[in-house]
Amino acid sequence: MTSELRIPDPLELEAAEEGRLRAVAGLPPLKRGGGEYAGFESVGLPDRPPQTEREREVYTLDEGEMLVNMGPQHPSTHGVMRLVIKVRGEVVIDIDPVLGYLHRGIEKLCENATYTTVMTYVDPMDYLSAMHNEHAPAIAFEKLFGIKAPPRAEYIRALVVELNRVFSHGLMMGFLALDMGGLTPILYSFINRDDVVDMLSAISGQRMLFNFFRVGGVNFDTNDEFMSRLGTWRAGVLKTIEMSERILTDNEIFRGRTVGMGVLSGAQAIALGVTGPSLRASGVPFDVRKAHPYSIYPELEFDVITQAGGDVYSRYLQRVAELKQSIHLIDQIVDKMPHGPVQAQVPGIIRPRPGRAYAAVESPRGLYSVYAISDGGPNPYRFRMRDPSFVSLQALPKLMPGRLIADTMAVMASFDPVMGGVDK
Amino acid sequence: MADVRRPRPTAEQLGRRRTLSAPAKAGALVRLLLDRFPGLASTIWTDDDTVEVQIDGAGNVALLGDLRDDPELHFWFLADAAAVDYGVGERFEVVYHLYSDLHPAWLRVRARVDRADPHIPTITGLWEGANFHEREMYDMMGILFDGNRDLRRIFMSPDYRSFPQRRDFLLPDDAADSQAAGVNPLERPETWDLTRLEESRAPGVMAGAGDEP
Amino acid sequence: MDLLFGILRFLLATTLLLLMTIPTAFVVIQMELKVIAQMQLRYGPNRVGPWGMFQSTIHGFKFLAKEDHIPDQADRATFTLAPWMVYMAAAMSMLVMPFAPGAIAADFNIGIVYFFAVIGLSVVGLLIAGWASYNKYSLLGGLRSAAQMVSYEIPLTLSVVGVVVLGGTLNFRELIAWQQLHGWMLIWQPVGLGIFYIASLAEINRTPFDMVEADSELVAGPFTEYSGMRFGFFFFAEYVALFIMSGVMTALFFGGWLAPWPFPAQLEGFGGTLYGLLWFFLKSYMFVFVAVWLRATLPRVRVDQLMGMAWKVLLPLAMLNLLVTAGAVLVFNL
Repeated sequence: MTSELRIPDPLELEAAEEGRLRAVAGLPPLKRGGGEYAGFESVGLPDRPPQTEREREVYTLDEGEMLVNMGPQHPSTHGVMRLVIKVRGEVVIDIDPVLGYLHRGIEKLCENATYTTVMTYVDPMDYLSAMHNEHAPAIAFEKLFGIKAPPRAEYIRALVVELNRVFSHGLMMGFLALDMGGLTPILYSFINRDDVVDMLSAISGQRMLFNFFRVGGVNFDTNDEFMSRLGTWRAGVLKTIEMSERILTDNEIFRGRTVGMGVLSGAQAIALGVTGPSLRASGVPFDVRKAHPYSIYPELEFDVITQAGGDVYSRYLQRVAELKQSIHLIDQIVDKMPHGPVQAQVPGIIRPRPGRAYAAVESPRGLYSVYAISDGGPNPYRFRMRDPSFVSLQALPKLMPGRLIADTMAVMASFDPVMGGVDK
Repeated sequence: MADVRRPRPTAEQLGRRRTLSAPAKAGALVRLLLDRFPGLASTIWTDDDTVEVQIDGAGNVALLGDLRDDPELHFWFLADAAAVDYGVGERFEVVYHLYSDLHPAWLRVRARVDRADPHIPTITGLWEGANFHEREMYDMMGILFDGNRDLRRIFMSPDYRSFPQRRDFLLPDDAADSQAAGVNPLERPETWDLTRLEESRAPGVMAGAGDEP
Repeated sequence: MDLLFGILRFLLATTLLLLMTIPTAFVVIQMELKVIAQMQLRYGPNRVGPWGMFQSTIHGFKFLAKEDHIPDQADRATFTLAPWMVYMAAAMSMLVMPFAPGAIAADFNIGIVYFFAVIGLSVVGLLIAGWASYNKYSLLGGLRSAAQMVSYEIPLTLSVVGVVVLGGTLNFRELIAWQQLHGWMLIWQPVGLGIFYIASLAEINRTPFDMVEADSELVAGPFTEYSGMRFGFFFFAEYVALFIMSGVMTALFFGGWLAPWPFPAQLEGFGGTLYGLLWFFLKSYMFVFVAVWLRATLPRVRVDQLMGMAWKVLLPLAMLNLLVTAGAVLVFNL
């Protein structure tokens, strides 16, 4: 019943095919083995001299060292990313992240899109915090257009943004556990996320890429279904979060793998550009909502939470605390929401004035900002997004040397990167 | 696709100057900057919540270092480092956004870079996290950062030769120009083997001479 | 005549045992699928058969139907041998499992020694699998797994020595008889029970000690190059081993086939066999359930923490336990 198939050695097959293709294309054949770049065959790059000092540092192998690829497909994935890890045995010596697998050229695309279409383009950047992705361009464009959104719109914006933060942090708890082998918390996080996403689809029509913000307000007002779902969800959310917390927070195995792991000091975090919960878990009280307030955050009462540890466990605790803080903020917003229109009254054809605008918001991963330049035409002249996961990824090669391979996943999950944002 | 070749406004048409009768929010910062760096007086610009200065690229490390280390300015956080292309024959700009907890406004530093020979010193000495930003600016615009230890492509493949976010980037030509193009036979129509489609063609579809209907 | 009868009985017993292993694996896999699903607040398989009962059976057929290939430069003989060794280690160790008063396949006087000796053969199987695959990562995975299993065998067997010293016998049946007289072994050897349970989970690579075959790790372990029924052997062997370890724990610490109440703990004749089977399977599957529960709940222990725990915690504890037990037996003339 079973048939046996002899397959030729895949490395030989690949080399032969690549040689043939290069001959057809008129390119010189590759030289493998030896040379300055001896470590490369195992990770599948062509033999060429290292381009930079850092590349030479990473890809030169000493005695006993080996280059191992983690990705671009790997099961505990935050997207498609490739980590080239230089290991000696199990111990990581160096890491080189290779990015760009999900690069879609969003910034360039937005230069040919109208200001409203830009909202659909920025959604899939950091797809787990789509509302934040839209919030920053909305603020920046409002500065260019000289429009102010009405108060009810600002409150609805803050509401959906905090809802987004709740489910994003909930997912981080699940992914951190999943990367370490705990199968259950991710499913509890998805229960929470499903409820929130159903709620947001009632108000915006979409479950993940919301396309909800507009320049001058939001697209739709709240409706009955949204409010009823919000009430039901709010009644049960703390219990759902507590289900995950009970499995993780005091679990000896979880603590053993996260306490003291990947310690990032505050000064180091600032130098590396890490922002958001990861920065606050290292003790630096920098929260864009307090540092440079936008929207209605000056009217809400909340403190900046920090943790002292700076390790993976602190980053986890920080996100759980911020999750609960967001629920508290949602309560305040729902209490204080005024009546009124949800979109500013603007003339039909409106063009922005030529100029520049910068807007930064606090996304679940850190400081997400947009720098937009307008030339007076219907499309932005330059649309630049600064993604927090992109910059936080630089912390990984600094934290990992000396640790084991198994810790790479834990440390990476604690920064909660989303590759859509990293690769734009 | 909108016409990428239409004439773009020149550098002078973008942005506008404002007098120094700015709201109090940014006022203290503006006065402080003029105090410390009188050379910036001609280029300083302010809005409700942003103060902007323009410098020449070569002085970026000095200025940013002073901004960071001065105890009254205390711009300890680099929020963003971006590159802007003003068109062929114009200049590049590298734009830094800084934050200080002593001043409520964002500070934007626009550093001019010559487009024909785009070199600018790196600021990874001040903030290590600028490394990825500079790699992205090199990858997308082709701006070279002198002193950066790791200036290689970050999004595009390592042997890509074009700079996608430049104004004169035209996709089909530039991608084909890349060394990586054409290695894959699917990118070269002359290698397509259409004979294997013969058997699966429905009768009458794409009938050639001599085919049965 | 007696000899012929003995041979026939032995053949019948071994055939029954081999036939029993696959359905046992199926049942345990089905339990894992459904129980973990319920704990994660979802349904689990519910399409294949009523309540999804036949899902794991279909898994078995799937393995049979898959293409079975051997890497070109792999060593064919050892590559083929490895899954047999792992599976046979599990099946052979079932020979001495005390299912019920009349239903032990081979009632050796050194049953316990035989059991632990044979269980250790699976280490060899994994090492061979890793080496014969001609794959650097399989080799590393196989070595890691072998190191883990070998380290945990020592506390495992040491914890059982305490039981043996108390019971005074290496025979499973006599040990259960001792437990009928003196009460279940768990009240005499609680520390031994704890060490045995932890070490047995590590021995069969179950969560939280399944770093070796973790799919979110870098290397897929020694089974990377295996497909089709060869991988099926490894897969089923793991679940059969789970059942076996639970069964042995029941026999050693929880009274085997004895009912929890002393009236009657054990019956005679064929009815007695059935009564014993009921209790044995009930207790064993309860421990299987606990293992599945642990898999749903706990994250994985890291490799170095795992090895550290074996050598620095379990081994000294097991030796201390043995010392105290032996001392008590000497002093109190038990």
